[in-house]
Amino acid sequence: MTMATKLQRRLILDIPTGFLLLFFVMPLTALVILSFWQTENYKIVYEWTLINYGTLATEGAYITFFLRSLAMAIGVSIALVILSWPIAYFIVRYGGRYRIVFSLLLVIPFLSGEVLRLIALQGMLGPAGLVNGALIRMGAAPLRMIMYSNTASFIAFIYLYLPLVVTTVYLSLINFDFRLAHAASACGANRFRIFTEVVWPLNLSGTIVGFMLAFIPTLSASLVPRFLGGPNGTLYGMSMAQQFGESGTWALGAAMGVVLFLFSVLALGILSFGVDLRRTGFTGLGRS
Amino acid sequence: MNLHFTDAVIKWTLATFLVIVFAFLYMPIVHILFASLSTRPNFPYPLEFNLSSYVRLSTNTVYQSAFLNSLILASCTAVLSTAMGFLATVGVLRFGGKRALVYAIFFAAPLFVSEILLGISSMALYYLVFKLQGNMLTAIIANTVHCFSFCFLIMAAMLYKYDWRMNEAAIVCGASPLRSFVEVMLPITWPGIMGSLITAFVLSLNGLDISFYLLGATPTMPSVAWGALRYGVKPELYALLTLINLIVFVLIMGLLAAIRLKKKEA
Repeated sequence: MTMATKLQRRLILDIPTGFLLLFFVMPLTALVILSFWQTENYKIVYEWTLINYGTLATEGAYITFFLRSLAMAIGVSIALVILSWPIAYFIVRYGGRYRIVFSLLLVIPFLSGEVLRLIALQGMLGPAGLVNGALIRMGAAPLRMIMYSNTASFIAFIYLYLPLVVTTVYLSLINFDFRLAHAASACGANRFRIFTEVVWPLNLSGTIVGFMLAFIPTLSASLVPRFLGGPNGTLYGMSMAQQFGESGTWALGAAMGVVLFLFSVLALGILSFGVDLRRTGFTGLGRS
Repeated sequence: MNLHFTDAVIKWTLATFLVIVFAFLYMPIVHILFASLSTRPNFPYPLEFNLSSYVRLSTNTVYQSAFLNSLILASCTAVLSTAMGFLATVGVLRFGGKRALVYAIFFAAPLFVSEILLGISSMALYYLVFKLQGNMLTAIIANTVHCFSFCFLIMAAMLYKYDWRMNEAAIVCGASPLRSFVEVMLPITWPGIMGSLITAFVLSLNGLDISFYLLGATPTMPSVAWGALRYGVKPELYALLTLINLIVFVLIMGLLAAIRLKKKEA
């Protein structure tokens, strides 16, 4: 009996662990190895070299793409946190029995997928889209700002990842004990102090997880800039995708992938100082 | 009195903001719905009701085979990632012990690696090690890695209040582990399992980044849609998008109704 339980216990944890080691850790390792090789004429040369990283660190275009991606990712994530908090707060505090309806209404647009949602958004922002169509009909000039520009990309990222961030903050707030806020209020704290000293710090972990969930895909985005970014909107992830597609320089693309991965890990490392996973409301580990 | 007034102001300000944001989320979708039903897809106002773009979509053979491929990919991914996610959830919540947090972080890690990196790195591995071009199996596996974390988190959120003593009680009473799972655990935990199946299904049905690098020339719906974009957005795409949204909407509403029904029973 105990032997069987022990075996069962090991199998239950080992199967998913093994699966991730094989199909998640191994591919990332392969990417790192590939980044130290070279591609010549669409063929891989199996010789260790640092030339890919040298190219990335010295060529102006790649540095520009990277800085643009970084600025975009930071801006988008901060904007999303600011937008998400009031929404999640309202659903948790005043949603009552409609909480689940509100949260499912957030999920529906999220699930229709990046490509289709971008097409829908282009129907709004594009040269022939709703906004400009309406402006032209009213006799005004079309808004150039929202057509094929970094602004268009920014709006698209907000549109894509808003449901994800709101849901994360919501999950954090719903596990937050609002009696703590009442206690602070009873002790004479005003609204501002209750928010900055009780509600915000105790939900910081969930907020940071939400920030990261928007930051990481934005940092390595390739579809959005390609479709909406226009001539000055090339981002790092889009350039990386081109190395694997048109240009066929896989090794350089792999090095770009490693750079993106390292920066994601770095951001995660910096921010995770503030994260207590028990407080994110995700795993239910708060019990133990 | 003054306090209540401030409360009301805060509440209604937040409510207005919520309405604006939901409008921002849904306006493109509704606009596309109107556009798909109109003969003037760029500016479909006043509204029309014309199904011609749906007819063209249903007779287009490229979309048909792409839809079939996507369906196979999404179904297999949903089942595989939910099964893996279920094992992971049970493992962490019940058998994790002191290392529960470490395992939980590891199982959530794919969430923090972008889809395009997963796709590219998996492609690099299969190509370098096995000399394999992309095929359906590799695409299913890579999609499963991505969906697995979502499944794990959804089921963990729903299962963490589950009382494991019930399983033990069933086993003490002479049930086999399988029977205790089917007759005790499944009836209680199925909303989490359904939620995980639906999420994984829809995510892999609509995801482009991963499948694009692992499927080679096999068309899927998002890749056909992406290809069609190069020649400008066509009304058929609007019809496709509307149909997908409708499917998602029906699935989610079904789940909601099922949860409501179960709550009434309890």
